[in-house]
Amino acid sequence: MASDTSFQHTYSIKGGDFINAGESSCEVRNTLKNLGIEPNIVRRVAIASYEAEMNVVMYANEGTMRFMVTPREIRIIVRDSGQGIPNIKRAMQPGFSTATKEMREMGFGAGMGLPNIKKNADVFTISSTKGKGTVLEITIFLNNHHE
Amino acid sequence: MSKHSHHSIKINLRKCIGCVRCMKDCPTKAIRVRKNKARITYERCVDCGECLRVCPHNAVEPIVTQSADLKKYAFKVALPSPVCYSQFGAHITPAAILSAISSIGFDHVYDEALMCEMISASIEQYLDEHKSPRPIISSICPVVVRLIQRLFPSLCRLIIPIEPPREMAAKNLRKEIAEKHKIPADSIGIIHITPCAAKMVSINYPETMERSHLDGAIPIQMIYNKVMMKIKKEARSSFLDTGRPVSGIGIGWSMAGGESRSLKYFHSISVSGVYDTIKILEDVESGKLRDIEYLECLICPDGCIGGPLTVENRFIAQSNINRLIRIYGSKKTVDVHTVRRLYKERYFLFEHSVEPKPFPGFDQDRSEAIKVLNKKNKIMKKLPGKDCGACGAPDCSTLAEDIALNNASLQDCIYNKGDMHG
Repeated sequence: MASDTSFQHTYSIKGGDFINAGESSCEVRNTLKNLGIEPNIVRRVAIASYEAEMNVVMYANEGTMRFMVTPREIRIIVRDSGQGIPNIKRAMQPGFSTATKEMREMGFGAGMGLPNIKKNADVFTISSTKGKGTVLEITIFLNNHHE
Repeated sequence: MSKHSHHSIKINLRKCIGCVRCMKDCPTKAIRVRKNKARITYERCVDCGECLRVCPHNAVEPIVTQSADLKKYAFKVALPSPVCYSQFGAHITPAAILSAISSIGFDHVYDEALMCEMISASIEQYLDEHKSPRPIISSICPVVVRLIQRLFPSLCRLIIPIEPPREMAAKNLRKEIAEKHKIPADSIGIIHITPCAAKMVSINYPETMERSHLDGAIPIQMIYNKVMMKIKKEARSSFLDTGRPVSGIGIGWSMAGGESRSLKYFHSISVSGVYDTIKILEDVESGKLRDIEYLECLICPDGCIGGPLTVENRFIAQSNINRLIRIYGSKKTVDVHTVRRLYKERYFLFEHSVEPKPFPGFDQDRSEAIKVLNKKNKIMKKLPGKDCGACGAPDCSTLAEDIALNNASLQDCIYNKGDMHG
C-alpha cells in the first residue's frame, strides 16, 4: 500500500459470470459512499465501473478491476485477457456493438458501453492488443477538478 | 421533543432482552446491542420497520398519533389507506368499512383510492411530458424516498415530483370541508389510517413541502377491533351500501404492482421488500435500467398490504384486494379533464424537490476517511468473519468499522478475547 492516505483494491472478474456481474462495481461505490464522496461523483464511478466490468464479463475469459482512491482522484484500471478490440475508434462510436444475439436478449450490447465510460470519466484511456487483451484506465478527479 | 422524534420507531428497553434479531435484519445497519439492549443510531435509520416486524418480544414500538391527540380538532376526518379494504374479510365492501371507520369518532371519511386514480392520471401526464431521464421512481413510499436520499442520493432527481395520494387527498379535503362547513382550516384534523409507521415521519418531517397536509397517522391495528365490532353489529343495516363511488384502480394501489398497472401506456416495473428495493436501486445507479420508464418501489413485502401495522395476513389481504378489483373493475371513476386541468395548475406537484441527504462518511476530511478505511481493512483481518453478532454489531465488517471509528473495541469480539492479553 502506497500510504495511509490512499486506498487500493483489486477485484477479479470472471468472463461469462452473469450471476456475480456488477458486484465489484457495487463494492467500489459502497466504499466511495463510506468515504463521503459527493453523490454525483459516485454516480459517475458507478456507471463507468459497471460498464467496464460488464465488458469483461461479456467479452473476456477473465480480468481484474483495480480500484484506487486518493484524496485527489479515483482511478479504475480494468484489464482483461480477451481477444482484444481490433478497431478502437469504431468501438468508441455510440451504437457500435459486437454483442451476440443472446447478450442483446439479456438487455446488453446497445453499443453504449465505451461511450458511456468516456462520458463519465475525466480521463479515459484504452489500449488493446489483438489476441492478448484490453486495458481501460478511468480517472475521475475529486476536489472539483471537474465541472 | 425527544431525539428520536424525527423517527417513527423506538425501542422499549423494558421489553428488549438484547437478542440480535433486529440488529441482524436492519438493512442500513442502524442498530447495535449495547449493555444487553438494542440501540438505534437514528442518523442511519430510514424507518423501514424491519425491526418492528422481526422483534419476538414486541420491544420495537411505533410512534404514532394517540387518540388523545385528536381532541384538539373540532372536525375530525379519517383518510383510510386502501389497505383497510383488505383487512375485514372477503365480503365486507369498502363502503361498509368507510362507514364503520367514520362511526368510531370521525366527522367525515374519504376514500383514498379515488385520489390514487387521479394521481395515476397525473403520473401518466408527467411521463408523457418528460421523456428523460429514466427510470422515474414512484414517490408513494416514504421509506423509499428516505432510502434514496440516504443510500442513493444521486437518484433523488429521478423521484417523480408528484405528491402521493394521501397528501393530495388531505389537501383537497381541508379546502372542501373548510368551505362547506365554514370552519377554520386548522380546526380540521385529517388523520391517515396507516399500514406502517413511516407515514408518521413523512407527516412530521415532510421532504417535499413546508408542512404536510395530514395531521397524524393511526395504525390499522389500533382501530381494527372497534371497526370490526361496528361492521358485525350493523351488517344487516343499510350502511352496507352508501352509494359512495369506489375506485377499482385506486384499490389496487394497496398492493405491489397496483400503481404500475394503472399506468397503461408505460413500461414499468414493480419491486417490493426492502432488500429487493435496495438491489434494484443499485441497478438504477449503474445505469442498467434506462429502458424502464417507471419504477414502483415499496418497502413492505408485496406492498402496503404487507405493512407492519396491518392485522390481516398479507396473502389473504392480497386475495381480498384482488376480489375487489374484480368487482369494481378498471372502470374509471375520475374525470381525466379535471386531472389535466389541475396538473396544469401544478396542483399535484412537490413544493420543492427531494434533497440528497447521504449518510455521513467515515470522516469529513477525505484523507482521514481513507485512513479509517485502511484501518478498518486491517482490523477485518483479525476478525473471524462469522458475522455472529455477539459483539453487538450486525456483522464483522460493521464491527471493524466501529472499531476504526473508535466506537467499539477488538475485545468486543468473543473470538478475539484470547489474544488480546498478549
